[in-house]
Amino acid sequence: MIHKTSPEVGGMGHSVKRKEDSRFIQGRGNYVDDVHLPNMAYGHVVRSPYAHARIKSVDTQAAMKLKGVLAVITGEDLEKAGLSWMPTLFHDKQMVLATGKVLFQAQEVAFVVAEDRYTAADAAELVEVDYEELPVLVDPHHSTDPDAPLIREDRDEKSNHIFHWEIGDKQATDKALSDAPVKIKLSTVFQRCHPAPLETCGCVADFNPATGKLTVWETSQAPHAHRTLFAIVAGLSENDIRIISPDIGGGFGNKVPIYPGYVCAVVASLTLKRPVKWIETRSENLQSTGFARDYHMTAEIAADKDGTVKALKVGTLADHGAFNAAAQPSKFPAGLFGICTGSYDFKNSFCEVDGVYTNKAPGGIAYRCSFRVTEAAFLIERAMDALADELGMDPADLRLKNFIPPDRFPYKSPLGFTYDSGNYKAAMDLALKQAGYRDLLKEQAEKRKKGELMGIGISSFTEIVGAGPAHTYDIAGLKMFDSCEIRVHPTGKATARLGTKSQGQGHETTFAQIIAQELGIPVAGITVEEGDTDTAPYGLGTYASRSTPVAGAATAVAARKIVEKAKKIAAHLMEVSEEDLEWEPGKFYVKGAPDKAKTIQEIAFAAYTDPPPGLEAGLEAVDYYDPPNLTFPFGTYICVVDIDKGTGEVKVRRFIAVDDCGNIINPMIVEGQIHGGLTEGLGIAFMQMIGYDESGNVQGGTFMDYLVPTAVETPHWETGKTCTPSPHHPFGAKGVGESPNVGSPAAFVNAVVDALSHLGVRNIDMPITPWKIWRILNEKGQVV
Amino acid sequence: MQVKIEKKFEVKEPVEKVWSLLSDPTKVVASVPGAKITEKVDDRNYKGSISVKVGPAVTDYKGEVHILNMDPAAHQMEIEGKGQDIRGKGSASMKMRGELKALPDGSTEVITSSEVSVVGLLAQFGGRMINDVSNKIFEEFTRSFRAQLAEASATTTPPDAPLGQTPGAREPGDEPTSGTGQEPPAAEGARHTRAAPLEPEPIKALPLILSIFRDAFVRFIRRVFGRSAES
Repeated sequence: MIHKTSPEVGGMGHSVKRKEDSRFIQGRGNYVDDVHLPNMAYGHVVRSPYAHARIKSVDTQAAMKLKGVLAVITGEDLEKAGLSWMPTLFHDKQMVLATGKVLFQAQEVAFVVAEDRYTAADAAELVEVDYEELPVLVDPHHSTDPDAPLIREDRDEKSNHIFHWEIGDKQATDKALSDAPVKIKLSTVFQRCHPAPLETCGCVADFNPATGKLTVWETSQAPHAHRTLFAIVAGLSENDIRIISPDIGGGFGNKVPIYPGYVCAVVASLTLKRPVKWIETRSENLQSTGFARDYHMTAEIAADKDGTVKALKVGTLADHGAFNAAAQPSKFPAGLFGICTGSYDFKNSFCEVDGVYTNKAPGGIAYRCSFRVTEAAFLIERAMDALADELGMDPADLRLKNFIPPDRFPYKSPLGFTYDSGNYKAAMDLALKQAGYRDLLKEQAEKRKKGELMGIGISSFTEIVGAGPAHTYDIAGLKMFDSCEIRVHPTGKATARLGTKSQGQGHETTFAQIIAQELGIPVAGITVEEGDTDTAPYGLGTYASRSTPVAGAATAVAARKIVEKAKKIAAHLMEVSEEDLEWEPGKFYVKGAPDKAKTIQEIAFAAYTDPPPGLEAGLEAVDYYDPPNLTFPFGTYICVVDIDKGTGEVKVRRFIAVDDCGNIINPMIVEGQIHGGLTEGLGIAFMQMIGYDESGNVQGGTFMDYLVPTAVETPHWETGKTCTPSPHHPFGAKGVGESPNVGSPAAFVNAVVDALSHLGVRNIDMPITPWKIWRILNEKGQVV
Repeated sequence: MQVKIEKKFEVKEPVEKVWSLLSDPTKVVASVPGAKITEKVDDRNYKGSISVKVGPAVTDYKGEVHILNMDPAAHQMEIEGKGQDIRGKGSASMKMRGELKALPDGSTEVITSSEVSVVGLLAQFGGRMINDVSNKIFEEFTRSFRAQLAEASATTTPPDAPLGQTPGAREPGDEPTSGTGQEPPAAEGARHTRAAPLEPEPIKALPLILSIFRDAFVRFIRRVFGRSAES
């Protein structure tokens, strides 16, 4: 049970208004493009129009002649400096500027630097590149065909196959499948989509020749890791590099990788000895930066006639594009996809994933997702519905029958994870109640009689977040700990710095609330700073819902270290022994004499003015937290849809989201995260795909084609919560940012398939557009 | 991106006369907005360029035209063109089959079928845009071709006319054409007959953009009123 602080202190559980919002709503945020430095030049990237082509020549003469152009950097120029390739975050390398050939449309070919943005853009059009088109590989299913064009000539392995990864007991799973009285097999695609953050990527690189220091303002979710990689790739001294992630306008995984534009701006600044700014356009962001998903999946479930599940077998083809630029823990080529057994007690499971190259933009980033958990949750939740359909069983009843019961936690899953805690039935029961599920079923039956199309979809997902324990989890060799440093000032106010980086999540508020909870210092007197590698302690950054599970834990542990020291000071001040003291957030008091107390403010003052003899002055602490396990948030979502038989349009009538993310820091922020994640899930389910035509032309490269849900499309979200704290987290929190995006796509699709199931429809791949539905209805003779 | 375009139109001229115009690439090209022949390599191979402007993006394709088949007896032809944008915006290629049919009333039906393949910037606009652009180009071609035929009837073509010269520059905005597919009346073509030689102009942005964005706007409005999120 967590001690409830007063609203003034504003610790855990208070809906404290977000401290950062006052500057955002007044237009006083400071984003990368707000950085203006004297003598700053501007860069623009020349991009390939072809998905696969040999570069015969690059002629920069005409561009160089344009007034105001300072430099045109080509792949050959970078090659001379040994910088034409850079490592990706996942055991691969990526071209910074193309040499030899281009491998995807919109690939970076040259970088033009000019006195202003317009000149740079005009000059980019004057760079003449002579290409010879090559055969294009778009369909990942043909990647390993004998006649498939070889995409990566640079690799020793002359194949488009990147990796094969498998986990689980194949033999036992196959046996269970062959013996089972009931079997289903579902093939589905989680389409290539893109986080499309409000702010595109960009940077300002400023090399100061007088000090030898390079400062880079960058749209980065992981500034410390970027600094280390810059130091390694560019051969610069790490202490001479300062990465600053200022305000970030949404990241969602898109701002984890290092992009060629950053490297080019740094090279340009080093060369010209001037600051160089580079900011992406919207189309550049959609077409060239980290995409998500593109998993082509098949699930097979073995079950008894009563619906008890026995085994799950999963096979997946992963399209990584031209370079494997997935950002995920290095021992996990398919991320945490092994969570695909979900909330259900499968005795056996086997999962295998093959990654392949295609002539598409590189990526495989975790879009509001903990490394492929979205794909995994989607697959198992769709497959459970397929099984319910096969058995003629209610999908809620089937799930309730197979949930891992609460007394089985910590639960060891057949694919190797140890779930920390869970009570899936509680979340399901609440969601069914909030939805009025049984009444909805009656309504649906009546509507069907009248020929109306109504569907109910359920998703009871289990998440896996908070990567991760150092023994197993690292990115590019860097262990996935995170950090917090707290300094309590003499007047009892505090400043905290963390290794994470908020992109809109509200860290300045929530991390202050953790400290308020632990130390009793009012949240108004606590400043949280992140994103400056010169000041913040080292950390792996913010993505995969890891900030609260890892950096939040570090914050609590650092605060507890401060309490330990405060105890010594309090004992000294009150002239009692430490054992006689009792702590409640904000003060130490003498056991049995609550009036005899010293507040944290008095103790902080004494730490600088009257420290006990033999104890060093000051009141600060730092913690690098290595989590003992991941955390496993969960929930049940129920979606109700109506389908217009004339237009094929799906209307989401209701959406009930019951989440369990353990103990909550700020209920208002959690609610906001859930609304945002559900809205993104809606976009993915119904509107979004980065598609390619047969020549590799991007078909979702602008907001004309890649639709983002607005208030018009977004239904009213009905939320609810249960609370099952994480037993290993210092304050029982689990992380929530991505749950709604992970859990919702299956609920949407299950609802639509349910609405059409009586017509024989078993699967519809996302995005479920009105055109797709209309064609199905037309085929079934249902269009009115 | 591949687009298949099949079009027919009628001209009030006898088949042989139409064929003499259609079978001469230097003359046909004059009817293609923004196109010109820059070099005749031999009877079957030519070099040329075509300029297409969509909004702020001008693509200048430079390339080659090959005559694959030319059958004067059957009035059938097949040509292939390929070009690459000089500013790296992509490439386009086209294979076109053309056939003339004499109609009982002495006029001629022109039947064409083309497969256009576009790579790069233009192809990113997606199917909707490409179809709109090609419809517009074809509309221009039809009008211009008729004008050229009318000119040939009204005057005698000077034998020393420069290669690929456009007989009359046409602005799509000149006429109140609404939407693609609507054929301007035959007489309209004659109005365009001008003697002055003019440089070929790229197919122009404004009316094209207006019609394309009008369609897009309608789609947007539908979306606002929650009717569809088209893909």
